[in-house]
Order: sequence, then structure tokens, then C-alpha cells
Amino acid sequence: MTQSAQSQAQQPSRMLDVARSYGIHLVLLALIVVTAMLSPAFVTGNNISNMLLQAAPLGIVVIGQVLVILVRGLDLSVASVMATAAVVATTFSGQDSDALPVFLVAMAIGLATGLLNGLLITKRNVSPFLATLATMTLLQGMRFAYTQGAPSGNVPPIYRVLGSQTFYGVPYNLMILIVLATVFSVLLHKTTYGRRVYLTGGNPAMARLVGIHSDRITIASYVISGGLAALAGLIYSGFVGIVDNWVGRGFELDSIVAAVMGGVALSGGRGSIIGGLFGAAILVVVFNAVLMIGFPIEFQIIIKGFVIIVAAAFYVRKTI
Amino acid sequence: MLTISNVSKSFPGVKALSDVRLEVKAGEVHALVGENGAGKSTLTRIIAGVHQPDEGSIEFDGEIVHWPSPAAAKAAGIHVIYQEFVLFPNLTVAENIFLGHERRGFLNGIDHSRTRQDAADLLNRLGVKIDPDALVAELSVADQQMVEIAKALVHKVKLLILDEPTAVIAGHEVELLFGRLRALRDDGVAIIYISHRLEEIFELCDRVTVFKDGQFVATEAVAAMTHDTLVSLMVGRNMSDLFPAKAAVGETRPVVLSATDVSVKGRVYKANIELRAGEITALSGMVGAGRTELAMALFGGLSMTSGQITIGGETFRKMTPSRAIEKGIGLLTEDRKGQGLAMLTDVSTNISASDLGSVSQSGWLNHSKERAIAAAEIETYRIACRGPQGAVLTMSGGNQQKVLVARWARTSRKVIIMDEPTRGVDVGAKAEIYRIMRQLADKGLAVLMISSEMPEVIGLADRVFVMREGVITGELGPDEIHEQRIIQLATQKRAS
Amino acid sequence: MTTVASTFTFLTKRRGGLLTVIGLICVLAIFGIVMSDKFGTASNASNILEQATPLALVSLGQTLVIITGGIDLSVGSLVSLASVLLSGITAGDPTMMYVALITIMLVGIFVGLINAGASLYLGVHPLIVTLGTGAILQGVTLLYTQTPIGKMPKGFDELAYGRVLGLPIGAVFTIAAFVLTAVFMRKVPLGRYIYATGDDALGAQLMGLPRTKVLFFAYGFCGLMASVAAIFLVARLGAGQPYTGQNFTLTSITPVVVGGTLLSGGRGGVMGTLMGVYLVSLLNNLLNFMSLSTHYQLIIQGLIVIIAVSVYVENKKRV
Repeated sequence: MTQSAQSQAQQPSRMLDVARSYGIHLVLLALIVVTAMLSPAFVTGNNISNMLLQAAPLGIVVIGQVLVILVRGLDLSVASVMATAAVVATTFSGQDSDALPVFLVAMAIGLATGLLNGLLITKRNVSPFLATLATMTLLQGMRFAYTQGAPSGNVPPIYRVLGSQTFYGVPYNLMILIVLATVFSVLLHKTTYGRRVYLTGGNPAMARLVGIHSDRITIASYVISGGLAALAGLIYSGFVGIVDNWVGRGFELDSIVAAVMGGVALSGGRGSIIGGLFGAAILVVVFNAVLMIGFPIEFQIIIKGFVIIVAAAFYVRKTI
Repeated sequence: MLTISNVSKSFPGVKALSDVRLEVKAGEVHALVGENGAGKSTLTRIIAGVHQPDEGSIEFDGEIVHWPSPAAAKAAGIHVIYQEFVLFPNLTVAENIFLGHERRGFLNGIDHSRTRQDAADLLNRLGVKIDPDALVAELSVADQQMVEIAKALVHKVKLLILDEPTAVIAGHEVELLFGRLRALRDDGVAIIYISHRLEEIFELCDRVTVFKDGQFVATEAVAAMTHDTLVSLMVGRNMSDLFPAKAAVGETRPVVLSATDVSVKGRVYKANIELRAGEITALSGMVGAGRTELAMALFGGLSMTSGQITIGGETFRKMTPSRAIEKGIGLLTEDRKGQGLAMLTDVSTNISASDLGSVSQSGWLNHSKERAIAAAEIETYRIACRGPQGAVLTMSGGNQQKVLVARWARTSRKVIIMDEPTRGVDVGAKAEIYRIMRQLADKGLAVLMISSEMPEVIGLADRVFVMREGVITGELGPDEIHEQRIIQLATQKRAS
Repeated sequence: MTTVASTFTFLTKRRGGLLTVIGLICVLAIFGIVMSDKFGTASNASNILEQATPLALVSLGQTLVIITGGIDLSVGSLVSLASVLLSGITAGDPTMMYVALITIMLVGIFVGLINAGASLYLGVHPLIVTLGTGAILQGVTLLYTQTPIGKMPKGFDELAYGRVLGLPIGAVFTIAAFVLTAVFMRKVPLGRYIYATGDDALGAQLMGLPRTKVLFFAYGFCGLMASVAAIFLVARLGAGQPYTGQNFTLTSITPVVVGGTLLSGGRGGVMGTLMGVYLVSLLNNLLNFMSLSTHYQLIIQGLIVIIAVSVYVENKKRV
């Protein structure tokens, strides 16, 4: 009697577990099918390759964001790092000969921002939200002061190629994303570093007591996130072509939304890069669908707002 | 006043209460006793409206009641003093005392000077000197306990529940508390008194109800009980069945770890302690005496402000968890959920956490080896779970504890420290954990146990160190371990 | 005698951060006066006070939310929405102005209640909830208009440029709002419950304190304040603009943190926030006098936040 009552009580929660594990794939599939039925232009090769071109920079940022959220953090500075990297891209001669210096300077800025974030959070106990907010503002101010409001100059052609060209229909930037996603997924799931990331996020106090240098692991996540954001900024500058001070605006929110939709727990220690990338894919499809079906573009933001609340509520786990 | 009938309550993975009853009359002090995990705290929370029972009924003051929230139970005249205080560190003492019963003045706003005055009066009546304007964060634990008690005197209560109120106070303060409680009883208040200290029950209480493993055992008049009958009701079996045989007396065993003049800022002062191979050493004392902090310092979880630790012929002035693990020390925390386990991951991840080196090669994890190790440990410690990839969240307290034992037994080659190893563990698992501890000692490890349960200390330990207010007040050898002696060392005033 | 002594200990021990902020304000003011003759003038002082009004009001609401242990990231978008609704609905018609004023205040309160409700009943952290509602509100604003819209009746700009007792109306209103809120927090039980909830949410629940009421009140108040801030903004700008509020989300948090309110909740107060607002405004004004572009203000703000949070280390232990 009590047994059957118990198993009945557990039924919905198991269904919810299944939904939590596979829901995202079904949602993506359903979205694609529905949009394709409503708007045939959605499934043309041109549109698909366009979506992928847009998805790649977001995906690269999402990888970093997932690493940060896994250690119970949040990185609001990614968009500011992207824009700064894009400004750097236009700073030199705009020729391919300067592609390497551009890359090095942009990466240095991204990594340094991540390091500052990580140090503030681990050594000064500042909440991740506030720390990354502060560095975001700081970077924004420095960028504005440097460009005096309007950057000028050209992006080296090689970044244009990486950001906006395809190779037999496959965007170059997508290839970069796939390589990065593979590398970091392997690191997370197959190495002791990855295990330390999950343990640090799952229970920081415990991680410390089993001898994990959780501060170092946390700092590493922010540094990687900063570096990836800088890279994404360079690639994205090649995609948009004309750089302003706001390249990548909204990517901080988009990357968090993608991670949360993909089942990465904001409480840390749970989730995967693949999940986050599925989340990013859904966002890009939704954005594209909004345009294809003919809604005003503002619906993108509204839907994004709804989605993050609903997705977060969906993954909330009541612990004892 | 209060009649609990056939109440049951389950949490994921645990049946906390099954079919219990309890009857408390107006004008009596009713003791509720039982070991850790007997269900006392759960019942307290049900009476207080924090949890709702799955089955059964509560009758209070002649009516069947269903309290949806703590506020409802409070309005009905129930006040609970929880073991873990409900105090707001950033509010003042006076504000804390009158929170929810604010003293009103001009335009019905809070009258701060009256609040302060009334708080001072209340604290005076309790006989303690505490500044009503101090922030609670600035008070000692004992003073915080007295503030908690003062809160109960603010308004007329019909039923007062005290969960381990004497865990952090001693001597004079306990007498003041008892005097207050007797006066309240004589006013017709019903009091439920939960305590591990059996002498207090004989001193203060009229009747006693015993719980074991979430079940009702008996209600008796205290006058009709003896110390021994009460203990056997609580434990449910003879002591000799529960505890394995102690290490043979008379042998001198080598010291594996010695700590000299170890201090932890504000918590431990120049503690000296020696742990011997093959022995279970207990660290006894009141809650807040600095036992956990000393253990944490030995393990490197807290930093030492002075002193040194010698292990395996090497002496360290600074210890970190990774160094401690490397030197063969392990520590099972008292706070399984907060510091012990990654609750949302599986058994194998938790077991290998302190020893990733053994399941990896140059940084690459060997998942199948990790699972094989976990499977073997599950077998060894008879951990009830859904295999190496079973979630720890839904496991019972005893099995979670065994996961921790499995983890630390793997890396502890010299010393294993166990802080309240049987907290939240049922009696069956308790006996098993005692047996495992003895096995570890027999294998040549020095086992250091921190415990607040007197039977556990007396039944298991070969040697006892007692702490009070951050100072080691005594060491008791194998033939000196008696309850009276331990309590005396744990509560005696420092010679001033 | 003892009260003097205890007040002194109270100020130095419990309000040390606040004293530092006030000290900094004095230092900056002296620095400014030495730097430029025009800085020390009454007209510049009232200019600083007037410019601080919208930020001060948004930060006031934000303070209450942060004391509960939460955060409101939707205030910026709410300010934008309220500003375009105000001038859009009014469209120069004095009668419609009253309709518009009531509408935006209700919208503000409503958004606040939604924020509180979603975090209470969905179990989602306010950070995420308000990030979401912020995006929704920004989208709605842009659907309504992409450009500055409508206009206010003649004389509405009195709110921005008029004087009471020689002080800008906005400044007087701000100070009154802060003082009233401070009194509320101290004198009304709900005020103490706001602190208690932020200090220890679980404990507040065990004590039977009204968590629901606390959160609905704090977020509702925060929304209302964002709308009121929009009124003063529109008075200065003449018409609502769809991006006018976007900086407020972040800048409203700076004065709160600088004023000594802990992001983890339970500690701090609105008067600290007011001082924080004045410090930030003074600094921005000073930068203008030093003819440094507004871009440097962002750098300074980032630095202030980093320094402030490093000074008030959040040492609250979660057990």
C-alpha cells in the first residue's frame, strides 16, 4: 500500500527527469519542424548556412560561460571583451600582416579580464555577478575612451574570411567552434581537470577538503571564458565587417540563456558544453524563425526573456 | 495540551517518522529522548508547522490542527527554541528578541527605547548580562543561546519546545534556565525538553518519551526510570552488542601524529594532542568547545595560528588538505551535505574525489577503473545504493556516511579523523560504522573521533581528550573513561 | 555621556563604511573647489543634486531589494518603458498626463510584483528572473517605439528645473523619499522583516515572518521607484526614449554597494545609498570639470565597484 503510493509519487518526478535529460533535443527538433512548415525559406541552404555563421561566435562564448557556470559563477563581461577584441581588430593597419598582433593583443585583454574576474571572486570573495559587472564596465569605459566614441579602421581580411566565409557550405567559424567544443568537452569529461571543475562547482567546501585547489580551478574557468570571448569577438568582427563599440552586445545574456536552457545548473557542478551548445542552437533558430515568420525583430528579446525564466524554473531541483 | 497520534513523515530516501505518538500535558516538563536520527527534530518541526505530516493527526489545546506554516503554529501559542539558533546576526539583541512582537509607540511605529528597555528587563530576569544593543553576531554562543531563551519569554506561550538548549551553556546558566522552566511549568505551560544529557532529564522532567529510528518506544514517568533502563530503551539493545571490543589495555602503541601548541584564531588555544596507531581516540566536550576546529587544523582545513604537527617523522607548521592527504591523514566532516559529499553526483565520483591519482594516468581519467573501485568499495562497506552510478542525494544518512568512509579509508594510511560519525544515522548503520572504525584501528590506523554522544565515547574510545572553550582540559587513558569525569572536564571553569 | 560614547562607537563600528564615504565626498568637494572656481558655486551644487535624482530613486528601490538578499536587473528596462509610456500616452495633453502618470506607476508596481512572484513561486533566483523580465520589458518598449516619442505639456519641465527652498524639486523629493524610507525601515516592523529575510531566509521562515509580503513589498517598491525616476528623467529630456534607462540597471547597484549594503543581504541601509549616489554624481561632475569625457566615468565606476566590494568583504558565512 505505502509502496505503491510511494512509487506513484515518484512517477511524475521521473518523467520530469527524463524531460530534463532529453527535452532540449525535442524542443530543437520541434522548433525546426514547425518553422520549416510555416516558412519554407527557413530550410534553404542559404539560410541554414547563415544561421550557422551566426551561431558559431555565440557557441564559442557559450563554451566559456558553461565552464564558469559549472564552478558556480557567471560571466557578464564576455560581451564587453568581445567588443574590445573587435575594436582591437581595427586598430592596426587592417592588413593580414597584422592579423597576429591583433590576435595576441585581443587574447591578452580577454585573458587578463578573466584573470581579474577570477582573482576578485576567489581572493576577495566578491560575488561573480558584481565582479564581472565591474570589469565589464571598466572595459567598456576604456574602449570608449580609446575610440573616442566611434572606432574606425578595417578588420584584417583573414578575420573576414573566418567570420563570414564558408568552405563548401561549412562556415570556417563553425569549424573553429567544433574543434574548441571537442577539446573542452574532452577536457571536462575525460581528464582530472574536468573532474576538479565538477567537484569545485558541485560542492566547493568539499572540493577544498579533498585537496583540490578550487581557487585555481575557478580562476582558470574565468580566464578561459575571457580568452574565448576575445576569440569570438575577433571572429564576430569579421562577420559584421563594420566594427562599432557594441560588437557582441547581448551576448552575455544570450550565452547565459543558452547554458541554462541546455541544462547547465546555475548552482554549479551540473551540465555540459554540448547541452549549452544545444541551447545556443535553439536561440539562433528562434531568432531566425522570428524573422522568417515575419514577426517584428523585438520579439527576439521578449522571447529570450521568457525562455530564460521558464528554462531556469524547469531545471530547478528541490533538494531536501 | 498536545496529543500527537500516528504521525508519519518521509523525506526522499528517508522515513523520518513512522506512526509515532506523543502526549504532553499542561504544566509538565516532558522529556523527548532518543539517539541522533531518532526523529526528535522532525517531530519538533512538524509541531512547529515547518513540515506537514504525511499521515496522522495533531491535537492542540482540544482541537485537531493543521498548521500550514510556522506562523500559524506560533499564533496558536507554540514556541520552539531550535538547536541551530534562529537569530539574525545583523540585528541587535533587542530587535531579535522582539522580532514579530515589536513594541509599538508613536503612530504605531516601533518604539526602540521601549524595545531596548523591555529586552534588558527580560535578560535581567534570566539573570544574564547581555547588552541589548549589541549585534547578535558579536555575542558568544552561550549568550546567543540565552537570547534564544529570552525570545520564548516575550509572549504567553502554551507549549514551549527546547531542542538541546544546554548543548552550549553550562553551570550557572543551566541553573538559571532550569529555574525559569520550572516557573513556566508552574504557570501551566507545557514544555517539551529534548536533551542528550540524561542527568538533566532526571533533574528537570516529569515524564519522558523515547523515540528510536523514527518510531515511538515508550512514555514513562521519570520517577519510575533509572539511568540504565532509559539508555537501554534508547539504544534498543545492550551496549555490548552495539560496540565492538576495545583495543587491549596495557600495550603501549606508537604515536603516529602529535600536535604541539596548535592554535586556531579565536577557537583553539595551544592544544596538545597525540594520536596512537591502533587506537580510537575520542575528542569530547561541549558543542562550540573547539573540537571541530582542532580537527580541521590537524587536517589543514583551517589554518593554524601557532604550533606544529608531527606526522611520520616530519614536522609541519603549515598544513593544507592536499598535504594532509599526501601524508596519509583523512577527515570525515560532521557536515556531510555542506562539506562532505557532492550531493548531485554519483557514488563513484564521491569515492574517488580525494584520490583522483589512483583512477587516472597522467591526467586522463580511467572511468572503468573508477567504477570498478567504487563497486568493490560498495561491496566492502555494504553500501546500499543503485551501484557506482547511483545518486548519493537519495541515499540514507548511514549509507552516505559509508560512502565517506570508503573515500577516506582509501587515502588514510596513518590517521583518520571522524567528526560526529553517527550523526543522522540509524541504529543499524551505527553499529556497522562502529565496527568499521574498530577495523580501521586494528589495521594500524590512529582513529580520532569527535562525538557529542556520551555512550559512543564511553563505549568505543580507547583514549579521550576533553576540550573546553578551546583548551584541552584533560586526557583520559583506557581505565579512566567515565561519564562523570568527562562532564567535569568539559564544563569546569578555568582556574582564574 | 554614555549615549555620546555609545553613539560614537555605533558610528565608528557599525557605520565605518558610511563615514568613509562621507569623508570621500568632502575630500572630492575640496579637491573640486581648489581645481576650479565654478565648481564650488551654488548653481553647480544644485546641478549635481538635480542630476542625481533619477539615479538616486532607482538606487533607493534597488537597496531594499538587495537587503532582502535579491537583486533587480529589470529596473533599467523599466525606466525606459515607463519613460516612453509617460510621454507617449500624454502626447502633450495635460489631462492625459495624469492618466499616464498613474499608468506608469501601476506598471512599475506590477513588474515588481511579477519579479517577486516569479522568484517566490518558480524557485528561480531573482538575478535570472529579473534578467528575463528586463529583456521582456526592453522588447516591449521597442515594440512600442524605436525613437523618442510624444511630448509633455508645458510646464512639466518645472519638475527638473524648478526650485523649492532654493533647491531643485527633484533633490528635495529625493531627500524626502530617502528619509521616509529610512524611517519606514526602522520604525515599521515590515522594515525589520526585510532585514531579517536578507540576513537568514530560512530563519525568517522558521520565525514565521511573512516572506511573501517582504518580497512583494521590496520588489513592488523598487518597480515604483523606477517609474518615478522615469518621471524626473522625462521632465529633463522632454520626451521618453526607448534606451534612456539602459544604464540604470548597473549604475543603480554601484551606489548601493558603495553605501555599504551587502549584496548577500541583511545589512546596510538607504542613507548609505544616498551618500553613494552623491559620491558617484560628484565624481562624474568633477570629471566633467576636468574636461575628461564621459567615457572615463565608466572606468571610474568600474574601479569604484571593485574597490568598494573589496573593502566591505562579504564575510557572511552560509552554514
